[in-house]
Amino acid sequence: MRSLFRNGNLAIVLIVVVALILPALLSSGYQLRMVSIIWVFALLAMGFNLLYGITGQISMAQQAFFAIGAYGFAMLQAKLGWSPFVALPVAVVIVACVAAVIGLPLLRLRTHYLAMATLAFSLMMVGLTNRWVDFTGGSAGIQIRTITVGDWSMSRAELYYTLVIVAAIGLVIHNFIISGHLGRAMQAVRDDETGAESLGVNVTAVKLRVFVLAAVYAAVGGIGYGLISRQVNPSFGEFPVIVSLLTIAVVGGLGTRFGPVIGAIVVVLAPQALARFGEFETLIYGLCLGVFLIFLPNGLSGVMERLGARMLRPSSAPGRRSVTKNIVEGGAR
Amino acid sequence: MDKFSVLLFSGLTNGSVYGLVGLSLSLIYGANRVINFAQGEFVMIGTMSAILFMATYNLPLPVALVLTLGVVLAMALALEFAVYLPLRKRDAPPLTIMIGTMAFAITTMGVALLIWGPNQLSVPNILPMEPMTVGPLITNWQQLAIISSFVAFLGLTWFILYRTSFGLAIRATGVDPKVALLMGIRSDRIVRFAFLFSATVSGLAGVLIGPLLGGQISIGLALTVKGFMAAILGGLGSPFAAAAGGLAIGVAEAMIAGYGNSLYAEPIIFLIILMVLFVRPYGLLGDFEAARR
Repeated sequence: MRSLFRNGNLAIVLIVVVALILPALLSSGYQLRMVSIIWVFALLAMGFNLLYGITGQISMAQQAFFAIGAYGFAMLQAKLGWSPFVALPVAVVIVACVAAVIGLPLLRLRTHYLAMATLAFSLMMVGLTNRWVDFTGGSAGIQIRTITVGDWSMSRAELYYTLVIVAAIGLVIHNFIISGHLGRAMQAVRDDETGAESLGVNVTAVKLRVFVLAAVYAAVGGIGYGLISRQVNPSFGEFPVIVSLLTIAVVGGLGTRFGPVIGAIVVVLAPQALARFGEFETLIYGLCLGVFLIFLPNGLSGVMERLGARMLRPSSAPGRRSVTKNIVEGGAR
Repeated sequence: MDKFSVLLFSGLTNGSVYGLVGLSLSLIYGANRVINFAQGEFVMIGTMSAILFMATYNLPLPVALVLTLGVVLAMALALEFAVYLPLRKRDAPPLTIMIGTMAFAITTMGVALLIWGPNQLSVPNILPMEPMTVGPLITNWQQLAIISSFVAFLGLTWFILYRTSFGLAIRATGVDPKVALLMGIRSDRIVRFAFLFSATVSGLAGVLIGPLLGGQISIGLALTVKGFMAAILGGLGSPFAAAAGGLAIGVAEAMIAGYGNSLYAEPIIFLIILMVLFVRPYGLLGDFEAARR
């Protein structure tokens, strides 16, 4: 349990405190919506970070799980009349099952093949949501009612606080996994699958667990996004979502603890600033992404870590180290 | 029979374009293990440049073609020098470079948006589009031009790869870049050739397919995805397998749309690709790639 309260948890407390005070400083419902979306994307990005940043398995199906989660949540309520408190966990479980079913055969694939197979899966899903109008409501989507219990119904501010708490729990789990035994196994899989296997890591089990976990993060994010938008439609699973997700991963820093949150803040707020540039928006977006990739490969959180490390210990800056390499080098010494 | 031949030719036409994008992707992948997410944008720029030079400036066809080629080649060099080389120098893994090419694709779309705007423009066709009959088959000149340029590029690629010493160097790099380097092959030149040749193939495909797809700056992404699917279905390791994959996707798409359900043609195609990957993880013809692992 001690590792739960070790390094970095002060930062989580800080993030949560700032996040909880924030609504008091905002003036409009639009701004509240924006900051709510930050936490949705942070959740989505945490799953992706575990999967790609730490385990090295790229998935382009995250936006599909995002959409399936939201659709499941909406349809269980609209079609079966379930209460949202039942629909939410069931939708998450459905996504976990779907991820396990497609993950088991797909995770045999590596790198680009995995990326393309997962992309094929998500394009198929988007195609279905767009076309199967009777079941999914087509491009208009399905309404999601605000959560209501008796006379009380959840306001936008209450939804925001809920999202902050969910995202904070998500972040604690995310960081706990990275620093724990599973995290080491994941990094070993990323650096060298054969090496990891020879050290006793069950590569398939690790990959599948992380794949399902990432899908669950995406589903929770998707349900949050559905509640904010008060509806779900096929755009939840479309390409812009995965582009935003990749941008968050790159800008925040791949394989870092706070990258997903930092990246989500930048990626949700930057288009607001860029909107002033009108037609130049897409161009600037692309250029910024490229500049980050080339000049700040560890993202903003890499910059912060380096600054922090320089203040604490002037001599050594912590970088991402290869676990298997450490072990192999240690053995050789 | 009429319906069949119309479907067959429209399938072969689209399939040729998917195949050419797949071939481009596979050539670059063979040289440096990078997937170029901007490949479809080369097709888009080919189409849009054709509009610019042929319709807006009214230049004669040969001049317009040369200028279009110049634009896509300049774009390929920009991709290499602005994205690929800096990332390679910093030892970025291939998937990070793929995200870099995605950034390049977004930038290209941003530039294209400034030049051409978001609306669909009509593309001047080089060849007549009136239907004509060849024996029992119904087609038109534009379709025949696309299909024959597909065959021509396939032949040219085969000739370069298997009948020249430069092609031998390309194949050696594909098998093992390090050993190829030790044998005195300049892998950076191979990579540059792959980028330039792929840009030429995709750009010309863009000029030809433009009248059929319509000139819109958003067509690039869909073509990139279809090109990938082609390369993955056939097998990334060989340009010819990738091209065959493209043809298969194009024809299957047209047939499912014509005889089955036109609404669900696209999801069904993706489902089939997914199923193929379950059974054959390195593509239908991907034994070469599988053996190398």
